[in-house]
Amino acid sequence: MSLIPDLRALRAAGAIAAAALATACATPAQKSATSDAEYLLTVTRPGLLHVIDMKTDRIARSCELPGKFGSGALVPTRDGRHAFVLGNLWEDVYGFELETCKLVFSARQSEGDVTVKTVQSLAVSADGSELYTVQNPVRRGADRFEVLPPRLAVYRIADGLDAKPVRSFPVKRRITKIAATAGGEVILGGADVEAIDVRSGAVRTVSALASWDRGPRWLTPDAFAMHSQGEHLNEYVMPYVTAKFADDRQDMASAEWWWGMSRVDLATGKAEAREIFPFEFVIFSLVADPRDRNILYGAFNTLSRHDIEKRETLKVVELDHTYYSLQLSRDASRVYVGGAGSTISIHDSGTLEKIGTIQLPGDMSTADVRVAWRRP
Amino acid sequence: MEKERNITSMIAAGLLALAAVVGAPERALAADGAALLAANCLSCHSAQGGSISRVEGQRKTPEGWQMTITRMQEQHGAKVSAEDKRRLIKYLADTRGLAPAETAGWRYLLEHDNNRVETIDGRYRDMCARCHSGARFALQRRSEDEWKLLMHTHIGLNPTLEFHSLARDRQWFPLAVNEVAPALARDFALDARAWKAWQAAPRTALDGSWRIAGFLPGKGAFEGRMRASAAGEDRYELAIEGRYADGALLSGRGVATVYTGYEWRGSVDIDGVALRQVMAADARGERMHGRQHFADSRRMGGALSALREGAAPMVMAVMPAQLRRGETAELTVVGSGLAGAVSLGKGVRVLEVVSRSPDRVVVRARAEGRDGLNDVAVGSARGKGLLAVYGRVARVEVEPANAIARVGGPGDAQMQKVGVAYRAIGWAAGRDGKAGTADDLRLGYLPARWSIEAADEEAEKAHDADFVGHIGADGVFVPGDAGPNPARPKSLGNTGRVNVVATVEAAGATVEGRGKLDVAVPDFVQRALD
Ligand code: HEC
Ligand code: HEC
Repeated sequence: MSLIPDLRALRAAGAIAAAALATACATPAQKSATSDAEYLLTVTRPGLLHVIDMKTDRIARSCELPGKFGSGALVPTRDGRHAFVLGNLWEDVYGFELETCKLVFSARQSEGDVTVKTVQSLAVSADGSELYTVQNPVRRGADRFEVLPPRLAVYRIADGLDAKPVRSFPVKRRITKIAATAGGEVILGGADVEAIDVRSGAVRTVSALASWDRGPRWLTPDAFAMHSQGEHLNEYVMPYVTAKFADDRQDMASAEWWWGMSRVDLATGKAEAREIFPFEFVIFSLVADPRDRNILYGAFNTLSRHDIEKRETLKVVELDHTYYSLQLSRDASRVYVGGAGSTISIHDSGTLEKIGTIQLPGDMSTADVRVAWRRP
Repeated sequence: MEKERNITSMIAAGLLALAAVVGAPERALAADGAALLAANCLSCHSAQGGSISRVEGQRKTPEGWQMTITRMQEQHGAKVSAEDKRRLIKYLADTRGLAPAETAGWRYLLEHDNNRVETIDGRYRDMCARCHSGARFALQRRSEDEWKLLMHTHIGLNPTLEFHSLARDRQWFPLAVNEVAPALARDFALDARAWKAWQAAPRTALDGSWRIAGFLPGKGAFEGRMRASAAGEDRYELAIEGRYADGALLSGRGVATVYTGYEWRGSVDIDGVALRQVMAADARGERMHGRQHFADSRRMGGALSALREGAAPMVMAVMPAQLRRGETAELTVVGSGLAGAVSLGKGVRVLEVVSRSPDRVVVRARAEGRDGLNDVAVGSARGKGLLAVYGRVARVEVEPANAIARVGGPGDAQMQKVGVAYRAIGWAAGRDGKAGTADDLRLGYLPARWSIEAADEEAEKAHDADFVGHIGADGVFVPGDAGPNPARPKSLGNTGRVNVVATVEAAGATVEGRGKLDVAVPDFVQRALD
């Protein structure tokens, strides 16, 4: 499939349409689709944000990202009209209007001799006015590196191109996924799940994970997520792995291994953290079924469905290669599994059988796969 | 004509740079070194008492310095000519190196003899030795500040380090700076008596004639003579003659540089094969020991020892190094200036001297007596514990016991196959008659038949042994091709886990030994030290 005829020729337009849809884009029919548009968003090398129409499973348009690839983490606004992408070696943020591919926002986080990397931490406030990133700065002096403390940076989206942070607050190290709550906090996914007040910078613990105090019968959990999980339900999910020991000797061989998660309701900022099903294989991302929030889907080398009420794995199918991320169609009938390659694999959410493929023009690598539609 | 052929092969081995240097007038090293630092490094570093910032607080091996300067070039854009780099490494290793006692126990990394399970202090194991060897930092000495700066460097070069498994379950960076760096500064301190003493110790030139013995994968054990003639600036030109255990002759030439007064790095061409020598000389410059490996695949190699020849006769080795009781066999005693009666120790009768020269004496001998390590003497020259006398091979050890091979190719230099050279070591049970106890008697290397088998149930099910590669009669394991194998699941390719089995036949009995071999995917980056 040759979706990109000539990058340079189309650069002026700022948008690269899939050949098949090039003419459709210009027609008025497309405008009326906006209100119920249902898009799947992802990024591929060397630097394209793809807006995929989930009604046709075809690329509607591809927006060109400035700079180098990395990481392709992205966050759509709640109204589904804009998306912000982490680009240029995990350093810059670019905001696009999805219907037009117009670049409406940019922030270069590195400055002078300080290189700032963001490890997937991107979020937009519930009202769509502010963008948050967690910055990990390192000064590169003439003959030495100096690691500086990380911080939450707050950008005003209205500042548009070349925006600078309007506020910043210290945060812990090693934070990945973040999400904004309705109440003016940003959930910080690190070793523990914390929330920071975006006005005062005050931090509270949402779910103690690495620092939980469950005694010697429970292994300190490994809480980690690179990809967003839950925006379609206005929730934030941080999976973890732990082990339950038979006795205080912490014998790994006889331990019971569990997946768990901290699940934060972004409307209230309240969370529940607990074990959800036995650890039998690696899962990189989890999403919940909007029809029944106790049903979760997970992906990595396998696609699986779980009932977390019963703490059971219901079904597992092998995937043709490794995938990092997954999403559900709005009606939850289809699962879209992507990342780590150039194909998005589409599955029936009931049988988990493969029912289609979206071939992308490049490798998604670490990029997110996310859904954009007008959310309540 | 002979001479010309040798020169071409030297050039082929990448030794061209040397030819120019050997002809050039010698320069004063110290002044030269400071000037080289100034010319190459001051655009980013600052001058600091005859040295430069960052260099000041560190000591490391020649390969350690090579790795740092390579990073200056590749990551930071420093422009350093090949000739300046060579001289800088020499200068830095000489003035800021490690004393012999400081490299003891970690030399396998310098020798690229990496098929081993490292013993690393728990506080460093997960924090540090999961990405690279523990020897990489154990072979460095730094001030506490410099150990701390190294932690900053790690995050600077690898911004996602803290997010990796085995890093994110702890506060990696604060731990590294506040706990690991101070511990490193105690365990691997910049200021050390051993280094002061070594710097003060007189240096011995290593030119002269050396009796050498070693093992080359695919060829076998060899012994010979290496003449080293001084070529200035601790460089030597080498001429090597010798023979393999099967009688085949070997000859070659090359060059060597000695760093820090004892670190011998040779680059030789033996019968058209480019080899590297990594040895350490003892304080008196009388013996050297280390490893020789192929230039194009550094994991493949074998032991190399050298004994300096002097006026006094000496016995270096006996080949083979073991004799079974009741057996009559031919043994070759190797040494220099060998004259006089041959004694193979208590209970071993020398039946006949088959042939003799000052370099080697071939005898027919028969062992009676007890299990033990016998001294071997020729006239006044004596070698201690060189001949193992035994009744029964009680167990066989495969060397290396744990190894990683890497699939590679075909035809892609970046994805070169990494094989493993195996040898079998025999052991007698010792006095207690039980194999596997402390008093077992090491019999040395024995001929063996080689095979592979699945390492466990899972590997058995996946038929790993049919795909990972093959092991030759010479004990050399050659892994399979990289990439998918249509006969196997995509994620596997030709990787897998197998046991390497050595079968030794001795006196009608069969004894097997096993080693674990992991055949893994290619490793794309090769650094000066793994
Ligand atoms: C273009 C700038 C530049 C030049 C030229 C340069 N360096 Fe560096 N050097 C750096 C930087 C940046 C660092 C810190 C990051 C690192 O260690 O890679 C550094 C670090 C070092 C360190 C500390 C390394 C460690 O492992 O802690 C040493 C030693 C060093 N340089 C030696 C040299 C020498 C010797 C030269 C000249 C041959 C040189 N540098 C030339 C930029 C430079
Ligand atoms: C995430 C993997 C990783 C971890 C963990 C790690 N290292 Fe390294 N280390 C590297 C890499 C990659 C380099 C090579 C840099 C280069 O190319 O020169 C390196 C280089 C080094 C060097 C050589 C630097 C020089 O130029 O002399 C030392 C010494 C070292 N590491 C020590 C440590 C110690 C001590 C720790 C634990 C506190 C540690 N490393 C943890 C990846 C790691």
